[in-house]
Amino acid sequence: MSFVHALTCKECGAEYGIEPRTVCDNDFGPVEVAYDYDAMQGTVTRESIEAGPASLWRYKDLLPIEGEPRTGFNSGLTPLVKADRLAAELGVKELYIKDDSANHPTFSYKDRVVSIAITKAIEFGFDTVGCASTGNLAHSVAAHAAASGLRTFVMIPHDLEEGKMVGMSVFGPRVVRIKGNYDDVNRLCSQIADKYNWAIVNVNLRPFYTEGAKTHGFEIAEQMGWRLPRHTVVPVAGGTILPKVWKAYQEFIQLGLVEDNKPAMYAAQAEGCSPVVKAIEEGVDLFHPQKPNTIAKSIAIGNPADGYYVIKVIRDSGGWGASAEDSEIIEAIQLLARTEGIFTEPAGGTTLACAIKLIQQGRIPRDEPICVCITGNGLKTLEVMQGRFTETPVINAKMGEFDTLVKQIEEQTTESTPQTV
Amino acid sequence: MPQVTRKCWLTFEGGHQNEPCLWKMTRAHPDVQFDIRQASVQKDIGIMAVLFDGEEDEVDAALQTLIDLGVKVDPVEGGSLVAG
Repeated sequence: MSFVHALTCKECGAEYGIEPRTVCDNDFGPVEVAYDYDAMQGTVTRESIEAGPASLWRYKDLLPIEGEPRTGFNSGLTPLVKADRLAAELGVKELYIKDDSANHPTFSYKDRVVSIAITKAIEFGFDTVGCASTGNLAHSVAAHAAASGLRTFVMIPHDLEEGKMVGMSVFGPRVVRIKGNYDDVNRLCSQIADKYNWAIVNVNLRPFYTEGAKTHGFEIAEQMGWRLPRHTVVPVAGGTILPKVWKAYQEFIQLGLVEDNKPAMYAAQAEGCSPVVKAIEEGVDLFHPQKPNTIAKSIAIGNPADGYYVIKVIRDSGGWGASAEDSEIIEAIQLLARTEGIFTEPAGGTTLACAIKLIQQGRIPRDEPICVCITGNGLKTLEVMQGRFTETPVINAKMGEFDTLVKQIEEQTTESTPQTV
Repeated sequence: MPQVTRKCWLTFEGGHQNEPCLWKMTRAHPDVQFDIRQASVQKDIGIMAVLFDGEEDEVDAALQTLIDLGVKVDPVEGGSLVAG
């Protein structure tokens, strides 16, 4: 049984049937999935969710599929880490890290959205799937499509890092490198979806794909013991995840599964690609597209498709935004690693760096629950950390040399942390 | 010549939001119909959702005129544009 009601226009509310559609015919506003929440009352409960599978599909009733899931059986339900050591370092009372660097199978939050999109592509009868990607999405589409036996094309900017190329190519998709940045790739994919009738997951399946991002928010609430963080900091690239985490919170509130504590949402962007944060800071609704220039390539989207809705949610929730320089992103990656043992990619470093700024600015109070959303794994972007550590000593396999080394290290130990620049 | 419909987002920046770009386009291409479906204009940026109708060559030429005037033209969904 599905609780999906229709696709509705986010601007004018016009309703459409469930079909591969992205915009409203009237005003070209984006459409999104609407559900029959009245029918869910009493059926979708804490107990029904807890009785579900140990994956994102435990929230199936709140996702836009008609039949049974077709992939993503081990995706989602990633750790929510109570980050006490990091909290102490930052001087805050209660801090959580939602750690999608551990997501299955490709170590980023994209495994959530792709699980829904691939299932929906199969329901719609598509035989070819694809995406426009900065890396993580291509990994996920390639992996889930391989496991589902679908033909796959992934379109990426031509200058993507070698490691990310390997991480997608191993699954056997057709990889097409496009001269230009992500926004150029996305634009071409829009035309490809139209001409070839393929399921480009973040283009013509976007209304369904984006719904998968809600599961990140559902899990935060459930893992916190059916309550919401007062403050949630989320990276902004295309603008998918932040409004959907917010939607997840609102759906749980509407269903009576959590108390409404007026959760505030905060956007994090790299300084070298921060159109949404700039608009928030300037107090305007429209953002100026930018040419990205940052090490945080996975969130380097200068013209975010859902940027307008990120700004709206930030305003409605009473949150704010911040941007981080590349050096601050690197420092935050190292801080998270040495305090909590979590190695995130530059997108995650950006989110933590921005959370720190928002705390220091007093925009996020130190005595209320905070959740920082980590969306990707640092092992995919090793190149940004290379050359940043002191040379590793080499000794002979003799105890005496080891003793000497330990003595030297103890003598050298100062207030600074070893191995960091 | 086939008739076409193009759904486009027009972005006006760098002072172009204060210029009559659509009027200039219609003066150059009077047979192209345009229909504004949504618009938001602020101090230094304006965005419009516009539907263009007409003969394919004329519509493409009209869009090129807008691009030449400094307007950013993006397809709403699919479809090819002269700028693409």
